[in-house]
Amino acid sequence: MTEQNSAANLTPLLELRDISKQYGPISALKNIDFYIGQREIVGLLGDNGAGKSTLIKLMSGIVQADRGEILANGKQVQLNSRRDSENLGIETIYQDAALVDTMSITRNIFMGREITNRLGFMRHKEMRDTAVDVLEGTVHIGGIESPRKLVGELSGGQKQAVAIARAVYFKRLILLLDEPTSALAVRATEKLFEHIRKLTEEGVSSVLVTHNLYHAFQVCDRFVVMSHGKITLNVLKQDTTIEELTQHVIKV
Amino acid sequence: MLSFDSTLPFLRTNNGLFEIMTDLNITRFLPRTKDPALAILILFIIIQVVAITASLLYPDSFRYLSDANISVMLKSIPVLGVIALGVGILMIAGEFDLSVGANYTFSGIVMATMVRDGAFVLIAVVIGLALGIGIGLLNGYITIRFKIPSFIVTLGAMLFWQGMTLYYHGATSLRFRPPEFFKSLMAGNIGLLQSSFLWYLGLTIVYWAILHHHKLGNHFFAVGGNKEAATAIGINPGRTKMIAFGIAGFSAAFAGILAASRVGSIQPGQGAGLELKAIAACVIGGVALTGGRGSVLGIFLGAALILTIQDILLLLRAPGFYLEIFVGILIVGAAIFNQSIQKQD
Repeated sequence: MTEQNSAANLTPLLELRDISKQYGPISALKNIDFYIGQREIVGLLGDNGAGKSTLIKLMSGIVQADRGEILANGKQVQLNSRRDSENLGIETIYQDAALVDTMSITRNIFMGREITNRLGFMRHKEMRDTAVDVLEGTVHIGGIESPRKLVGELSGGQKQAVAIARAVYFKRLILLLDEPTSALAVRATEKLFEHIRKLTEEGVSSVLVTHNLYHAFQVCDRFVVMSHGKITLNVLKQDTTIEELTQHVIKV
Repeated sequence: MLSFDSTLPFLRTNNGLFEIMTDLNITRFLPRTKDPALAILILFIIIQVVAITASLLYPDSFRYLSDANISVMLKSIPVLGVIALGVGILMIAGEFDLSVGANYTFSGIVMATMVRDGAFVLIAVVIGLALGIGIGLLNGYITIRFKIPSFIVTLGAMLFWQGMTLYYHGATSLRFRPPEFFKSLMAGNIGLLQSSFLWYLGLTIVYWAILHHHKLGNHFFAVGGNKEAATAIGINPGRTKMIAFGIAGFSAAFAGILAASRVGSIQPGQGAGLELKAIAACVIGGVALTGGRGSVLGIFLGAALILTIQDILLLLRAPGFYLEIFVGILIVGAAIFNQSIQKQD
């Protein structure tokens, strides 16, 4: 697709400039320049402690940078809370999918963003119907009997599907996926990648944090490798190979 | 009900017996006992059927269906029920309140003292309720601000407010003599019913609407079920829990007003042990001690079940300790049952 090749030329959805973050004496991020273009999937790679998770948390609004600036669609923004990032259309999908096991699928999808009347009472049917639509339409993961089913009864892949359904329904622009495949079976991982690939066509960009280079290579358009809080490589898929990426990740 | 998509076997991570049964759709034929409230409802109905049958067979020796007994039952339910609802909602939000018994007595005594000293009863009631809410919010504030278990905070609060009751009023019984209109409003008789039971029913419906149909209730479940997930999605856990603490405090004070109106006096020691009975009602009704699970129907039935058993034992002239033994078994049995339901997942 030509659109993806030209992604870098368009205004990035989110851009981090010269970002640094200290945790006491430890530099988690050092002068990071990072961007998420339109309709692209960025693979964020690196060893444990490279700073990937800190970078994700920063874009989620959970931690704040000590230095540097953040731009959304070219305009400078503050990301001081989870709300701020949510307002910019950023959704983080965590390893544990951030779902409540004791609540139903519907309740989880609409958790904190319930469809209500003016008095705050929930419109159960509307939420249920929407949940079914989203799960069967955009996400189309099978095996979910009823939107009333408790999330605790779902498998790892189905849980991720619910988390993605949530992101899709709320028209997120950027999905941050932090090790989403660590708890998934092979088939579920493939499904997940299908979803995020399909979402780029709908204008949603994703950042995929993973240890698994083969997974990353399967789905990403561009790769950013981190090491000791710095970005050591930023390369488009067509300009690199798995071998080159492996070397960069392993090389300290 | 759609069946599992058999083309996606890898989506299921653990292939236990339950998974296999799901594959074969066997679960479709099993009773859906996943809801603890349903189980308690079945138990409640069985006990009612047995008691009613026995009273029909032996109307002279087992007077379960006598007007006097029904009337006493309906009068005794509201106080425990109202407190249990408040405590239960707080437990669903993942916190405890052991001070509800002390709160119930203290806010009742403050209200009754104001009425004795000439304050208009409705003003005294508003102040009593505000005091109850305030005690609940203070529990919440200390719990959240200092990040300590609410179990400890409210254990301290229980002793503190018990002591404050004695400091404020002394150990003697305090008469509550509200104007006649207020007494009939809170504790007037309507046939076998007392208006206190209607207040209880009304409050139950309000709490049911909040917990199961309002977004606030959804946030209680979310925060109690997985605080991190709720926070990640943008729910403020501290604020949500504060509201739940306030509801527990309000319920305790409201129960204090109901009790004072019914009995016409307040004993400074009357609330002792009520907090544990309320938690027992919640656990029997399927509220998880770990938070995130429970229902208003379950709590309602849990409180009714404790009092039904108490009533049956009284009618059988069983010594008082039988009640403790029965309720004790019931609590542990209910907890084991709830646990086994969760394990099925």
